[in-house]
Parts: sequence; C-alpha cells; structure tokens
Amino acid sequence: MELLLAQAADFKPYGNWMPPDLSVHGEKIDQLINITHYFMGVLFVAWGIFFAYCVVRFRAKSGGSAQYHPVKGKASKYAEVGIAIFEAVLLLGFSMPVWGEYKNNPPAKSDRIEVRAIGEQFQWNFHYPGKDGIFGRTSAKFIDAVSNTIGLDPNDENGKDDIQTIGELHLPVDKWIYVRITSKDVIHSFAIPTMRVKQDAIPGMEVPVWFKIKPAATTENLIKSMREDFATAKSDWYRLRHHVATKSYQDKSGQTILAEGEGIGFSRDLGEKKLVQLRKAGIETISMRPANPLEVICAQLCGNSHFKMKAQLFTYDDAGYEAWKKSTIPEVIEDF
Amino acid sequence: MSDTSHELPFWKKYIFSVDHKVIGIQYTITALLFLAFGFFLMLVMRYQLAYPNQPLPGVFASVLGEPVIGEVVVNEATGEKGKVLTGDGYNAFGAMHGTIMVFLAIVPLAVGGFGNFVLPLQCGAPDMAFPRLNMASYWMYLPGGILMLFGFFVKGGAANSGWTSYPPLSTIATTGQTIWLLGMVVLITSSLLGSVNFIVTVVQLRVKGLSFFRLPFFVWAQLVTAFLLLLAFPPLEAAGILQLMDRVADTSFFDPGGLIISGVERNTAGGGSPLLWQHLFWFLAHPEVYVLILPGLGIIAEVIANNTRKPLWGYKSLVYSAIFLGFMSFIVWAHHMFMTGMGTTLSTFFQATTMIISVPSVIILTCLIISLWGAKIRFTTPMLFALSFLPMFAIGGLTGLPLGLTAADIHLHDTYYVIGHFHYVVAPGTIFAMFAGVYYWFPKASGRRMNEWLGRIHWFFSFIFINAIFMPFFFMGMAGVLRRQFDQTETLHGAAVQGLSVMATWAAIGLAVAQLPFVINFFWSMFAGERVGQNPWNATTLEWSAPSPPPHGNFDTVPVVARGPYEYSVPGEKDDFSMQATA
Repeated sequence: MELLLAQAADFKPYGNWMPPDLSVHGEKIDQLINITHYFMGVLFVAWGIFFAYCVVRFRAKSGGSAQYHPVKGKASKYAEVGIAIFEAVLLLGFSMPVWGEYKNNPPAKSDRIEVRAIGEQFQWNFHYPGKDGIFGRTSAKFIDAVSNTIGLDPNDENGKDDIQTIGELHLPVDKWIYVRITSKDVIHSFAIPTMRVKQDAIPGMEVPVWFKIKPAATTENLIKSMREDFATAKSDWYRLRHHVATKSYQDKSGQTILAEGEGIGFSRDLGEKKLVQLRKAGIETISMRPANPLEVICAQLCGNSHFKMKAQLFTYDDAGYEAWKKSTIPEVIEDF
Repeated sequence: MSDTSHELPFWKKYIFSVDHKVIGIQYTITALLFLAFGFFLMLVMRYQLAYPNQPLPGVFASVLGEPVIGEVVVNEATGEKGKVLTGDGYNAFGAMHGTIMVFLAIVPLAVGGFGNFVLPLQCGAPDMAFPRLNMASYWMYLPGGILMLFGFFVKGGAANSGWTSYPPLSTIATTGQTIWLLGMVVLITSSLLGSVNFIVTVVQLRVKGLSFFRLPFFVWAQLVTAFLLLLAFPPLEAAGILQLMDRVADTSFFDPGGLIISGVERNTAGGGSPLLWQHLFWFLAHPEVYVLILPGLGIIAEVIANNTRKPLWGYKSLVYSAIFLGFMSFIVWAHHMFMTGMGTTLSTFFQATTMIISVPSVIILTCLIISLWGAKIRFTTPMLFALSFLPMFAIGGLTGLPLGLTAADIHLHDTYYVIGHFHYVVAPGTIFAMFAGVYYWFPKASGRRMNEWLGRIHWFFSFIFINAIFMPFFFMGMAGVLRRQFDQTETLHGAAVQGLSVMATWAAIGLAVAQLPFVINFFWSMFAGERVGQNPWNATTLEWSAPSPPPHGNFDTVPVVARGPYEYSVPGEKDDFSMQATA
C-alpha cells in the first residue's frame, strides 16, 4: 500500500501540458506526442533562424541588385529528405505500433471486465453484465428514462443480475477494461482524457475499446495526491468550480468560511463572494483538490447541452470494486 | 483589343456584368462582407467562452434575438436579468461561422475574387472562357449565401449541427438545417460553374508564347484548385441531397434505424449509415483544405517574387508540388475519422498518405523561404503580410503532424489543438495571403495605391493579435479542452486552462479593432489614394501590362509572351524587372 501511495504522489493535478496519464498505454501516446513536438520545435526554430537571417541580411539597400541565378546547393534537398525520413520513423516506429496495440489483440474474454457504454443526449449510460458475465438483451420498447435507460429486457434471465448506471462509470485498476461503445440517438464520443481513450459512439454500431488503468490510480489515491494551492486573489470561480477544500479555513473569530470537502459555490456569484470572504479574512492561498478527479466526457457535438454530457469515473482496487458491485446489484434488480 | 466602343447601362456594367474583373470585385466585396459577419459570430462565441453564462455586452445583445439569446439572472437580490447566448445559439453560431468562413468567405474570396480578377489577366486573355457562366456562378453564390443566412430567421434558428453536419444530429435538427442543405446545393453548383470556367480559360485562352511553364504560380495554384473543386464537390452535393431526402422525405441514407430520440423511438426504415455521410463529406472537405490554401500560396508566390526582386527559387518544384498536393488531397480524407473505430489496415493507409502529403507542402514552403536568399527585399505592406504568412503557415502545417498520427490523435482529436492547427493554416495563413493580395492588386483594380502607413499598422496589430488568439489553442488542446463546447469549464481539465480562453477572447476583440485601419484604407484609397500607372510595383507578369484599371477586354494590344513569369534582376538588363509581354 505504501508503494501504491508513493506512486500516487506522482499524479499531477490538471492544467499542465497534458492531463495526468493514468492508463498503461497512455505513456506511449504521450511519448509520441512529446517526440513529435520536439521534432516540430527543432524544425521550426531551424527554419525560423534561416528565415530571420534572410530577412535581415537581404533587406533592400541602395545599390546592388538581387541575385538572378538560383542559389546552388543540396541543403534543401537533404532537409526535405530528412523530414520525410523522420516522419516515416514517427509513423512506423511509434504511431503504428501504439495504434496496433490499441486496436489489435483485444484481451481474452476471461481476462477482461466488460462494460457497455451507451450514449444519449446528454448522458452516458453504463451496462455491466453482472455475475454471470453475460449481458442481458436490450430493446427500445423497455426503455424507461429513469429506471431502465438502456432498455434491458426484464424477461431475459441473463439480464437479471445486470447492473446499469447513469452518469457513473465504476472500474477496477490494473485489469483489462473492455468498453463496448454505442449510442441510442446521435453520434457521441466516449472520451476519458486521463486514460488517453477516445472512441466515437455511433448509433447502429458497437465499437469496443480496451485499456488498463495504472495500479495506483484509484480514485482514493488520486484524491490524496491531486492537491494544489490556489491564490485567492488570482483564482476565479471558473478555475475552482470543480474543486473542494482539503482543509477547513476560518476567519479571525474562528468562524468557518470554507469547510474541508466543501466547494467554493455552485454559481459564479456565490463563488466570487466566497473568495472575497477568504481574502478579507487574510487567507491568501487555499489548498484544494478535485471533488472527483476523473471524468468521462463526450468529444463529439451532440446537441445544445453537449458540453454538459459527462460521467464521473470511479476507480478502485479489487476489493473496492467488488464492494461497489455488491452494493449496487440488489438496488438495480429491485428497480426492474 | 479593349472594347470601349459603347457604354453599358449601370445594371449591366456593375450588377449583371459578364466582365471577369467586375465579377472578381463583386466576389471580393461580397466575400469580405461574409468574412466580417463570420468574424462577428466568432466574437460572440468567444465572449461566451471567456465568460460563460455572463451577460453579453450591449453591442452583441442588442443585435441578437431568440432563439440564440436567452436570459440569465444577473443579480439574485434584485432579480435583474441579462442576455446570454444559449447552447442552441452557440451551436448555430459555430456551425454558421465554419460554413460562412469556408464556403462564403475564404473560398469565394480566394477563387471567385482573386481568381476571377487576376487569372485571365495573367493569361493575357480578354475575359474568362465563358463570361455568362462566370456571371451565373456569382449569381448562384450570392443567393446561396443569402439563403444560408435566411436560416437565422426560421423557427429554431440556423443550422446547429456543426459545419460538418454529421447525421443523425443533422437529420433531427430544426428547419435551419434544411436551409443549410439547400444553401450548400446552390453554393456547390456555383463552385462547379466557376471551376469549369477556370480550367477552360487556362487551357484555351493563354496568349501566344505563354506556355504552361511560363504561367505564374498563381495561375497554376488556381488551376489545381479548379480541378479540386470540380472533382471533390459533386460527392458532397449528392450527399447533401441525400441528407435533404432523409430530412424531408423520410429516407434513411444515413439513418441506421431504431434511434431513440428523447425517449421516443424514431419511426424510419433504417438500414443507412451515419459513417457514409462522413466519408462523402470528408472526400470533399479535405481537398477543400487545399482549395483554401493553394490560392493563398499562389498570391504569396507573386508577392514574394515581386518584392525580393528575383526569380522564385524552384519554380518547377512549386508547380509539381502543387499538382501532387492536389492529387494526394483526394486520398487522405479518412484521417478526420480515425476515432470512428477505424482498424489498423485502413488507418495505416490514411496515416501514410497524410505523411506523404506533407512532403509537397514542405517543398513549397522551402522554395518560398529559399527565394529570400540573395534577394533585395522591399518591405511593402503586401510583402509584410507575405513574410509573416510563412512562419504562421509553417506552424499550421507542422501541427498537422501529430493529428495525422493515429496514436497521437487519440488525445488530440476534436480538441482545441485541431482548431489551432487549421486556423493557423486558414486564418494567419490564407487570410493573411488574401490581405497581401488585396494590397498588391488594389492598384490594378482601382488605379490607386492603398496607404502604406495604414497598411503597416493593419499588418502589425493583426500579426500580434491573430497569434494571441490561436497560439493558446494548442495548449488548451493539449490540456484536453474539446472543441464545440459552449462552456469548457464544465469539465475539470477545461476549467484548469480557462485563463487561456480569456486571453484568446481579448485578442479576438483586439483583432477586430486592428481591422479598422484596413477598412478605412480600403474605402479612402478607392477614392483618394495615390494614382498609379499600369505597373506601380515594377512587376513582370502580364496583368501589369494592362492599364490600371484594365478596360473591358483588358489589354490595349494583344500581348505576346517571350519569357518566364519572374524575370527579375536579369544580368545585363537596364531595369531590375523584365516583363513577360513583349508587345
């Protein structure tokens, strides 16, 4: 456990370059993105220096004329061939192997946790197969907006132990996760930025993605590690709206302004007032953490509330995941 | 050769004109107005993005109405309300911003405006091959554009399914989407009429001595562009009609069936595929990217050759690269669809073609930069725009690289990184090239030169602000902020980089202000600018052998061409420019 917590301390908060990477395959994606950008940077700087030199060196001055005959030399050809070779290396050496790993060789059925993700305007529905490992039949005629959003057939024996959740995805760490993605209405896109996972949810099709979450990346560990100090004078409500305080803050009379686990307010108006209160009490920085550090979002325009389409992602170790399943199954069955 | 034997009535001379120059100016002015309107939509969107759900400033709120505008309580104590952009309004503005900028502003400006005005002159032709077809092209473009805007006034507002119009969202959208599809059909027809005309003009109407390899690069760029329009647009026109049928005749070309919309099963035959639309759309829309770029590169080549006072370096490489670019642009389309569930075989092909297409782009840019070596650079206003185009276009091109690699695209797809990438190509890229073109050919069109001082102010502030808008987008995209989000702070990672969005918004407002010198300069110079002769830039290509402005029929005598397009600083010649026309 100590080792896990030590690893957890590496998880950076949001806002630096890319979001923290919590999936096993994500490291290679990040590596490719970083290498590509180093390459682009070198190329741009080299081009830029040559360009700037030309602009300064060959500016019009009185007397003399421009050079009619083309400059000879093979530098440009070497540069072009060099760029082509480097692109081939990026493609063959990095992108194709990573994509092949991401798309080919799905984990064996016995070695994976399967979940169906069903997009609809504007929520994510999740369907777990239950103890028997078999998904129950679904049909549009059984859909109920509250109790059965995926249309699970109550008469199907395989579906009796199935679990469905709305806006909450619960997953174990260090296990192959196999998500079968589809949509009930328009095209959505199942995206978890912290897992480097993105897959369009297309009605009429079911497309799988699979990934493994890093062993230490449980929600519990992330909550402990993703702390950040924010200056009350410089931060605004938009920046802090999904955060909660990691400790309690009081004014000089001892009255609590911001309790541990409390956010600064549900609206901008309330949030800005709270920040003023904190500043007046002489509190210059507040320590906060994301209320829930992981989100599933929708990356494809799906209507007027597309921006609100997201689900909370909770990650657990084995025991935690089993405990969650146990707590959920009876409730859902009763709903049917 | 010029035809001034009789004066035409006003409506025939300026409204329903068959003269390519008048039609070019009509296209230019109309496209600039659409450009301004598309920019206005973006400003409103950017305000919402910087200050989500906060009341719009009066200047925006007063000119906008339902359904794009909603109300929000500003002061909970007093119950005072303010006007805000709605989610539907934001999506409509987004879809129409993209549509207007691509189909009504930049392409019509680059092709209809510059192409129409300059291409026949550079070919030494008296007009386009089919002048009436040319007029018909403009008179389909303008009503098509007006029809598009009409969408704002129908119930439910304008189309709000993105400029990509993906079904089933677009199939179930409000009436504005039908208007969008009708508008697209009309606009595409306009493009097809224009492209045929361009191709025939270049092939058939070149004057004596003007072989293909003596054509200015601008003409080559327009020729390749015309082929792209001719071959890529028909699939989209067909797809548009199919989507129209899905909407109004309950067909199911793009509908898989069994859709549950707001809890109700949609009663359609099904059997269609939403992905079919994406393939048809991107089969046009990727070549369309090069339709947006190539004319701009053509303009930049002309301005650089003229202001470096030397021949373009690697002229033939430029031409071959443009042709290869055009060909390759037809086989890269599915890199826009990597996240649809594409397997390794297909993605390998499209990744490879995407990498290959970067090679001619690199060659073009390299030729233009090496052209500066040994030059005698004049820092005129068009040259300032052309020079700043080069690094900014390079940023646009380079940032396409990670997006073309499937593995990197997993994180970057549909984020602000994509927005930054294509805007660097099209806005600091093509739009800067358009400004270079306006300043460069304004004397030819009007007989007067635009004011240099105002031009430099326009360039300087535009350069600063346009980078301040789009550079933050790369960092937002890296942070995972998605495009087409009404409020990015709804997500944790979006909220983390909200400050960059605020910066981009204020830079956009700055960019709007920076256009004032251009607007003043444009109209002031039209009537009071310094009068110039037929060749104020000491240029070489054929248009500068015609009077400024050229009369109907263009040239006083039929020119004969004896040399290439960029014979600057020829050793032994008296002047540092040797014109193509010898007679």
